[in-house]
Amino acid sequence: MTAILQADELVKSFGPFNAVDGASLQVEERSIHALIGPNGAGKTTLFYLLAGYIKPTAGRVRFNGVDITGLSPNAVARRGMVCAFQITHVFPRMTVAENVTCAVLARHRAQHRFWAPISAAIRREADELLHSVGLTALAGQRAGTLSHGDQRVLEVALALATSPSMLLLDEPTAGMSPVETERTVALVRRLAQERALTVLLVEHDVNVVFSISDRVTVLHQGRVLREGPPAEIRKDPAVIEVYLGEAA
Amino acid sequence: MILRRLLPGLALALLAFLGAGLLGPGELVVLNNVVVLALFAVATNLLLGTTGLVSFGQACFYGVGGYTVAIAWYQHWAGFWVSACLAPFIGGFVAFLVGMLVLRSRRWFFALLTMAFSQLFFTIAQKAYDITQGDSGIFGAMVPDWMADPRGGSLFIVAVATISILLLWLIDRSPLGLTLRAIRDNQRRVAGLGVNTYAVQLLAFTLSGAFCAIAGVLTVVNQQAAYPGMLDWVQSGDPVLVSVIGGMYSFLGPVVGALIYQLGHDVIVRITTRWQLALGLVLLAVVLLFPDGLAGLFRAEAWQALANRVLRRRPA
Amino acid sequence: MCRERAGDGRPEPATTRGSGLRPMTLGGIIVQLLSGLTSAAILFLVAAGITLIFGAMRIINVAHGSFYMYGAYIMASALTLLPGQAGFWLRLLLAPALVGVLGAALEVLVLRRIYQREHLAQLLATFALFYILADLAQQIWGNQYRTVPVPPVLAGHTSILGHAFPLYSLFVIAIAVLTGLAVLVLLRVTMFGWSVRAAVEDPELLAATGVNVKRLSTLLFALGAVLAGIAGAVVAPLQAVTTGMDASILVAAFIVSILGGLGSVAGAAIGSVIIGVFQAFGVQLWPQWSSTFVYIAMILVLAFRPSGILGQAE
Repeated sequence: MTAILQADELVKSFGPFNAVDGASLQVEERSIHALIGPNGAGKTTLFYLLAGYIKPTAGRVRFNGVDITGLSPNAVARRGMVCAFQITHVFPRMTVAENVTCAVLARHRAQHRFWAPISAAIRREADELLHSVGLTALAGQRAGTLSHGDQRVLEVALALATSPSMLLLDEPTAGMSPVETERTVALVRRLAQERALTVLLVEHDVNVVFSISDRVTVLHQGRVLREGPPAEIRKDPAVIEVYLGEAA
Repeated sequence: MILRRLLPGLALALLAFLGAGLLGPGELVVLNNVVVLALFAVATNLLLGTTGLVSFGQACFYGVGGYTVAIAWYQHWAGFWVSACLAPFIGGFVAFLVGMLVLRSRRWFFALLTMAFSQLFFTIAQKAYDITQGDSGIFGAMVPDWMADPRGGSLFIVAVATISILLLWLIDRSPLGLTLRAIRDNQRRVAGLGVNTYAVQLLAFTLSGAFCAIAGVLTVVNQQAAYPGMLDWVQSGDPVLVSVIGGMYSFLGPVVGALIYQLGHDVIVRITTRWQLALGLVLLAVVLLFPDGLAGLFRAEAWQALANRVLRRRPA
Repeated sequence: MCRERAGDGRPEPATTRGSGLRPMTLGGIIVQLLSGLTSAAILFLVAAGITLIFGAMRIINVAHGSFYMYGAYIMASALTLLPGQAGFWLRLLLAPALVGVLGAALEVLVLRRIYQREHLAQLLATFALFYILADLAQQIWGNQYRTVPVPPVLAGHTSILGHAFPLYSLFVIAIAVLTGLAVLVLLRVTMFGWSVRAAVEDPELLAATGVNVKRLSTLLFALGAVLAGIAGAVVAPLQAVTTGMDASILVAAFIVSILGGLGSVAGAAIGSVIIGVFQAFGVQLWPQWSSTFVYIAMILVLAFRPSGILGQAE
């Protein structure tokens, strides 16, 4: 298995403070990889660095062997790596189906066509996407009226519309009830398998992490503390010490 | 299913045709005004309600369309049919040029800049005496005889407007329409999908300009005159307020707004000269109390929201 | 629906009326310059109010031109109440004061309710005010245009290097300069002024500092109205007072305030001087097109610095 995403010695400074201080990361293709760490460890900053939303002060990021350091999120998305954030950015006044259709149109570069109605092929692709994330029942509802959990699922659908090879998820189960969390975990697992996706998720809920991931990276004070399979990580004394005082 | 959605629009079109065929000359003028304003407003709403672009400058292209016909006649450059067919292209082209400049600005500035362009063309129309006859405008028999006749003219106006609005509806239902609505809802996200939102908006701006120009041509058919006042920013405000009054988030909202506006105008001027006061008060009421437009009056939610707001204001 | 339009609203430079190509002597140039400054003076007064209001409160008021028009109309119609020389000065005080009160009233009654709304709502609400104020003006003063005589002490011409130049125009320039200086002093010295400047920098921070934002908004809006009222009052003897004045000055004033930088009174001064002078000299070369200069200036700036000039207020 090759590493589809590779980050080498990433550093991000905000003035004198290094939010990320020489972090290196390798994500194997078609694996589900979790990034965890206590508050302030730099997870979110690292996440943004990988996806291109902020530029690193030092270090490199490689995706599929190609150097993507400093590229815009758009460019990164075009190469096959997309993100879904905690704060949902859906299109509130449009229906769920329209939201997804829009993303599909963008992928086919058909968004400017004004002389003909939306083609059946595009509608089919949108429907299929909705079905794969389980939102078909809500297709006609306005996206702005969805529950937060459903909006996040819609976000994932929008991300998937571009047929990415890698998906970055920012705390996918944050603020969810246990039932919703279950649902999300099952969905991520199923999608990763059905679409041969590589998934990197930042997570706080360690149960989720341990139930779904193939590998775990623990971040602490901007640096990688430990990396390995979940079973090892959960027993590692250094990791446990770092999490002492955190709700595990 | 599509037919069901088309039904209200088709019904209105049918009514308009009947009106054009049956009404007397005095009433035909009113009908023409409504129809032209409806087209102007729907074309403007492609930007306003669909894309979220508040343009206070569409009168620019409306005037360009009207003046194309008028100037071509006055200067003996071309006959009516040639100039009328050219008008949307000229209007669209001018819109393209203006759009290239103004679409790089954001919200507030976009609105102000469109106002400025409207005013610029107004000034040009005033000052280029040789071509436009300046403030007095161009009057005369610039349309074919059968169109100068009230009934013929009305039928022509209703026909062209109906076709134009239908085309605008097709655009609304097209991939472009969907993308525009997405841009309205969350422009950054659309850009994040890899779409060049500037280009898409420019396309919409161009199309809107072209259809506004058609409305301008129809207005010239209606009144057989073109004058600078067709171009200034106050004129630009009319299709915007009509769309908002009628409801800018529904396709036919602007048509409803045009009906309300024109009929309201004609009723009020029979009673009093204070038409502007009435318009101002209604507009103020709509903005403050019915943000989704008067078309929303037919939905219970609007009244519920209003009641909530009023009740909350009462001292406990 | 037709409205009366009164041309481009800005006072024509005094020397354009019936003049041919003027020989470019030093005196001639100075007179042209002063002529441009006269237009600039009026434009500045209106734009200064706009730039402060827009800069500090982020609200576009398309009825701002109505204050200008009301200033002129009050100046004209109070003639019967306060005639003659002394009357002129009294009217010059009365008109802006009344307009200021009108501005304050509108702020409290209408604008307060739309601060939080999206800019479309603000545009439409102020557009509604524009119509309402236009109607009221028509009711009070009718449709006929009015003229206001220049008071005797300011009438006549003075000779500048052999060329005649109206005294009254010099007076207009003086008023604008004095008013501008007064506003600048106000902004530097008073609490009010400091709060306004702070609001221009960061509107949200202001509320946190304990300033009574409501009162500040009302006062600022009234100040803007007063400035526009002064402009209308002094322009009254220079041109016919008509309906349509409200619409015609508005866009030019907005452009000037944008070009000068939102929130900057000095910027509005510089912008209006540039436009006014350009227009005055342009009248010699392209008499037909001088009124388009302000728009061309805007296009040029747009083409080369699309976000540069606008960057401040985002």
